[in-house]
Amino acid sequence: MVHILKRARNLRQLLWIRNGPGAIQLPKEVTKIHLEFHPKLIGSAFRGARHFWHEMMPRMKYRNPTVPMSVTRHKDPNGGAYLHIYTSTATPASSQTTNPPGTANASPEASNTLTPDTTEPTHTFEIKTLHESEILDLLVEKTGAVVLRTPPEEAQEMEEFKEFEVRAEKDRIEVRERLLRERREAQLLKLARGEVPNAA
Amino acid sequence: MAPARSFLAPLSRTTVPFTSSVRPSIPQLAFAPLEQLSKRWILRGTKIENKKKKANKNFTNYDLREIEQFSLIDAMHYIRAFEVGRNPTSSKYDLAVRFRTQRSGPVVRNRLRLPHPVKTDIRICVIAPPDSKVADDARAAGASLVGEDEIFAQVKEGVVNFDRCICHIDSLQKLNKAQLGRILGPKGLMPSTKLGTVVSNVAQAVRNMVGGSEYRERDAVVRLAIGQLGFAPEAMQANIKAFMESLRKDIGQMSSEKEVHEVVLSSTNAPGFTLNGEYRGPNSISPKELSGPL
Repeated sequence: MVHILKRARNLRQLLWIRNGPGAIQLPKEVTKIHLEFHPKLIGSAFRGARHFWHEMMPRMKYRNPTVPMSVTRHKDPNGGAYLHIYTSTATPASSQTTNPPGTANASPEASNTLTPDTTEPTHTFEIKTLHESEILDLLVEKTGAVVLRTPPEEAQEMEEFKEFEVRAEKDRIEVRERLLRERREAQLLKLARGEVPNAA
Repeated sequence: MAPARSFLAPLSRTTVPFTSSVRPSIPQLAFAPLEQLSKRWILRGTKIENKKKKANKNFTNYDLREIEQFSLIDAMHYIRAFEVGRNPTSSKYDLAVRFRTQRSGPVVRNRLRLPHPVKTDIRICVIAPPDSKVADDARAAGASLVGEDEIFAQVKEGVVNFDRCICHIDSLQKLNKAQLGRILGPKGLMPSTKLGTVVSNVAQAVRNMVGGSEYRERDAVVRLAIGQLGFAPEAMQANIKAFMESLRKDIGQMSSEKEVHEVVLSSTNAPGFTLNGEYRGPNSISPKELSGPL
């Protein structure tokens, strides 16, 4: 099992997932969010999309556990990167279907039931070459999501953690240097005693 | 510390040609002026040779009062957020149970059927006469491949398209004659009585294997894939309860003392969450919110 201290430190990631860019409350109309991009960055064409998935989507999912969020990765390096937003109110207006809102157009079961998702997304954005923060701004603007503020005590804690990281990096370098020096000295001692190491 | 060392290195280098083959390394210290060597250095040098540190009889366990603990729903809430955008069929919840136990002694090892199986697409091969009642039972129980000589021929050609292999007790001789151990052995598929894969009641064994999972204690921890990522909190609760109950029974049958120390829920891409044994905390969201698709 991972050491308890390591686990405890890892759990401070929870602050990361609670706060920061992406901590938004989506309005009730949003039924699904879907992201589509190529798994490689390819210059910086898909960097924003990938970072958006990796850094912001966990926060969004944490704040909106009921909204299905999915990602597909296509294999075409020249293909696009898209952000699809599905909403429940806009569908009857755009396409005159007889389905009551909230059943057919909600389409959240698509990945579970293996039936192809036929509903059209309400908004589709081309997000190739966009920065992840630009994608987030786009999403917030179009859906009218509420950006949640970080509580001051958690902000302070995050600040402390940042300092801790900086210090840890410094310590890591120091420790590594000392360790290497000791090893080198031990090696020299060994050589001096006439015990020829196998490698040399 | 440092001056003693830097002094020692050149000194020993000069003395080595004369002494290295005859004298052990410790007496060399006598050449160095004693006051220049710190006492600690000598102590440390001798200590390593004379005394080995006695290993603790029990595994070290840490106090859990300092660490944050989570209710099941809170943990699932976080884990689902960490797993966003991943393939729901490849990511899984896993549970690690840590014991307070001795380093030596018997270990917990068993298999169980979870109320909601995690892996259901397991392919089982049954070695039994193809047109017997045993074979029919095995097929009914979910075996994907049943037969004797055809399977032997297939395996010899290198076609092994199954994940588990069970042998009926009457077919064992035939199996041994076919000499498949060289092919199946390295893959861990060769049936043997020791592993409980040579049985008389094949149907029962197959049923236990389909959707069954094995677990085993290693370094005082039992790990098990406990659920698919799409499971609702109720299903997870049922699975965890079944697993803990099974562990309790295993421990009850043992002679040595074991107690559950910590239960950690994690998943493929999420950190581990120590569970506090409760289903919902005071600030938890409703279980319904976690029941939907990812």
